[in-house]
Amino acid sequence: MRKLCIITVSFLLSFSCSQAQILAGTLNVTGMPSFTQSVNAVVVEAGLDDTTVGFESNFDATKIGFVLNPILLLPSSLVCEQNVYRYSVFINSVNTPANVTLEAKTTVNSGLRFPTVSIYDTLLIQPLGPRNLTPTNGGNYTTVPNNATQAIKIMEFIGCRQDIPIQFRIKPSALCPAGNYNFEINYTVTASLTL
Amino acid sequence: MKNTHYILATLFTFCFLICGGQPILNVTISSNFIFGGGQGSNFATLSLQPIAIIDAEPDPSNTINFGISSNTLEAGLPATGPGGILTNESIWLNFTYRAVNFTNAKIYVNTNQMVPAGMVLQIQVLSTANIGGVFTSNPVLSPITLSTNQQVLVNNFSSGYTGNGLGTGYQLKYTIENHSGQSLPLGFEIIYEIK
Repeated sequence: MRKLCIITVSFLLSFSCSQAQILAGTLNVTGMPSFTQSVNAVVVEAGLDDTTVGFESNFDATKIGFVLNPILLLPSSLVCEQNVYRYSVFINSVNTPANVTLEAKTTVNSGLRFPTVSIYDTLLIQPLGPRNLTPTNGGNYTTVPNNATQAIKIMEFIGCRQDIPIQFRIKPSALCPAGNYNFEINYTVTASLTL
Repeated sequence: MKNTHYILATLFTFCFLICGGQPILNVTISSNFIFGGGQGSNFATLSLQPIAIIDAEPDPSNTINFGISSNTLEAGLPATGPGGILTNESIWLNFTYRAVNFTNAKIYVNTNQMVPAGMVLQIQVLSTANIGGVFTSNPVLSPITLSTNQQVLVNNFSSGYTGNGLGTGYQLKYTIENHSGQSLPLGFEIIYEIK
C-alpha cells in the first residue's frame, strides 16, 4: 500500500512537471474506405429519396492510432506510459459529392491502449480518468462535414491508443448522379491535459 | 457550504451551455493541433447505382374500375351513361430517378393489350403536386390516347423524387369512351416506364 502511494505521488509529480509541454506524437491512419452501393441498398419505394436507405462500410474501414514519438533512447511505449494526455479526434471530408451525406462512428473503448498495460492504470488517482475511449453521440453516427476548414469531434480518448476502428455510412440522395467518385477524409487530433 | 453548491451549479450550467453542441474545430488553424496533436487523411471511393422506379398510387390498390352503374342506366342512352364517357382522377404517379451522367429521363405510358375497337381510353396529367419531393415538373398536358405503343407522358426531367403517396407527383385523369358498354380484356394493364 505504501509503495503504491509512493508510485502515485511520484507519477502525479512527474505528470505536473510534464504539463509544461505536451509531447509530440504521430497520428497513423490506415485503410481506404470503398463505398459501393449494392442493388439491395437502393430505395425501393418510388417517390422516396435514396437517403432513406443508406449503406455502411465495414466496421473497420479505417483505423487510426495516436502514439507519442520516441525521445532519444526512450521508445514510444515508455513515453506513452509516462505521459498521458486527453486526445480529441475531429473528422471532416473534402470533395464529397453534393447531396451525399457521410457519417462516421466508433464504439466505446474501441481500439487498443498503448502500451496495453501502464503504471497509470494502477494509480489511485488518475488525473485524466481511466485510459478509455469515449465516442461522440453515444457511439451513434455523426455527420461528417464536407468542409475543408470545419471538422467535428467523433471521439476522445485518454492516453496513446492504436487500431481504433471507424465505420462509415453513406446516405446518397437521388439528386446525386450515379457513377464513381473520389473524396478525402481528414482526421485531426488535439491533445490536452485538462479533464 | 451553500456558496460552494451555488458556484458548482453555476459552473455546471455554464459548461453545459458552452459545451452543449458537438464540438467543431477549425482545422486550418495549426495551433489547434500542432502542440501534441496531428493530422492525417485517407482517400475514399464511392460508387452509386442508377435508380428509375415509378408507381401508381394508391399502391397496391390502384385498379381502376369503369363499371356500369345501375343508377345511370337509361333506355336509349349508352350503357356507360350520358355521352358514353367515364372518367377517373384518383391515381397519382410517384417516381424516384437518379441519372447516369446527368442524363434526363422521360415517363412513357402504354397498354399491355390492344384497346378493343369502339373504345377510346385516354390519359392526361391533370395536375402536379410536391409533398416532400424534389423534382422538376414537365408533363405533357394534352390527353394521350392509349395504345400498345409507348407515348411520352412526362417530358425531360433530371434526377429527383416526387414524395410518396397520394397527393404528390403527377395526378392522372383517365377518360374512357365506351358507347357500346364493352369490357376491357382480362389482364388489361396500363404500363408506366421511366427511361
